[in-house]
Amino acid sequence: MTPIEFLQGLSEMEIVGGLTVLSLLIGGIIMAAGIIVAKIAKMIFFKYYAPTLPQDTAKNFGKIIYFGIILISFFAFTSSQGLDFSGLLVAGGIFAVVIGFATQSVVSNLISGVFLMIEKPAKHGDTIQIPDMSISGTLLDIGTFSSRIRKFDGTVIRIPNEKFFTSNIRSLTVSTVRRAEAMVGIAYNDDIETAISAIKAEIRLSMPFVLRIPEPEFRVEELGDSSVNIQVLVWHPRDDWSQAQPILLTTIKRALDKAGIEIPFPQRVIWDAKD
Amino acid sequence: MSNENVESNYSKYGEYLITDHLELNLPEIVVKIQRVGEHAFSYFRQDSEGNIVEKMIPAKSNEMKIEMAPIRPLNHPARRTGYVFLKFDKEIYLSQNSAASIFVHCPIEVGIFLIQDSKRESLDWLTCNPVNSRFGLYGSPDTGTLCKYAEVTLATDFSDSVPYVEGVMKIIIENNLDSGQTVSKVIFPITDNSLYYEDSKSVLDGIKVTLKKRAVVSIADVQTDSVRTDWTKSPTWEDSTTNTSMEMGLE
Repeated sequence: MTPIEFLQGLSEMEIVGGLTVLSLLIGGIIMAAGIIVAKIAKMIFFKYYAPTLPQDTAKNFGKIIYFGIILISFFAFTSSQGLDFSGLLVAGGIFAVVIGFATQSVVSNLISGVFLMIEKPAKHGDTIQIPDMSISGTLLDIGTFSSRIRKFDGTVIRIPNEKFFTSNIRSLTVSTVRRAEAMVGIAYNDDIETAISAIKAEIRLSMPFVLRIPEPEFRVEELGDSSVNIQVLVWHPRDDWSQAQPILLTTIKRALDKAGIEIPFPQRVIWDAKD
Repeated sequence: MSNENVESNYSKYGEYLITDHLELNLPEIVVKIQRVGEHAFSYFRQDSEGNIVEKMIPAKSNEMKIEMAPIRPLNHPARRTGYVFLKFDKEIYLSQNSAASIFVHCPIEVGIFLIQDSKRESLDWLTCNPVNSRFGLYGSPDTGTLCKYAEVTLATDFSDSVPYVEGVMKIIIENNLDSGQTVSKVIFPITDNSLYYEDSKSVLDGIKVTLKKRAVVSIADVQTDSVRTDWTKSPTWEDSTTNTSMEMGLE
């Protein structure tokens, strides 16, 4: 049997309603070619053009190119089969209502994703916090249905776009500088000004990422049960949180130790009624 | 320690040819370079904060040439900005339509450059005054400009630099406003200012600050003003570690 005779045989093998094995094979080849072209186009885009674009824009363009080519392939496939979808329109009305209820959350996530891409409350690489969900980390991407955040422990959390869109989003990287805070208590018989001077000098000496302008700020926050509580506020470049907040208390403790200032334990004076 | 003693005790800026070993002494910093094999040298630096930097340098021959030169004060504690905030120790008052020319001490860092085929490649940088190398903010926290901050004193002339710590910069201030102005600080991008050195002294390109009216707003326009000197011009320090990427393969 020659190849032409083989193909003729396939064209005569009807599956259903004029759909033959040969036409199905041609359709399959069109779809496969479409997927390969889509992958190559996406790869070329990401390799040569995406590095010059913002990451969010590049990802969205990549998706449009990939799914656009696949959609064109699908239309080519259906037209090659001579398929007529007009009959589906009648049944589609009722079916759409059923599907609409069933996929409510999916559509909601999709629309929220579109709004997130338009509003851009945060962009790829930003450090953000979602207080409602107690999530902090780096925004990896805003996808079609969900967004991904890499938490500081290295794990990646996926958040449906609807929840992400309706939550409070706190951006930790939008400002030029950020503020670190710490609270320390000193004994009542120690001098407040001496303690503040000692802490200020130690911060100036050993915390290179703390800004000189604005200067570190000191507030006597409370006359507590056992101590005079002083709040220490320092500013640092936004990307250097790890060089300020985690070592601020250590620096304060070292300063007070050097100056001989006591950090008192909680204490309670109990009077005996007989006395 | 006087400037004269500093100059005599420490290594001077300039080019050094290394055939076996070289030790550069700077205030509280030691740099050692020595040949460790055929066409191979080791680089060692220890600073006053206890930081140690060690590198291996493959060379084209058994000789290596380096240059030690003053560089812009932007690298310590980390490179975050190209702006400098100079706060004068004394305010300068300028009456209406007047001008003044002052010399100030501007902080510097020291760069070590590898010379290969007459090209200068950035090898290392160091600061001899880490305690006073800090950041400051000009403006509000959300829209302000992050700067390297320094409280500076007035200098007498270009020869008044503090070796390895401060160079001298000339600042011309012109007040074109119709009222007297007090100037206590200048904020400018230092990335356009070149540095020049001789022995252990350094000078920087100056700036010209013009106080003028734009529409209804009073502004200070800052322009770089090149210094005329026959001192050696420093190479520009470029951080080569930030723009290197590795391509692992195709998807």
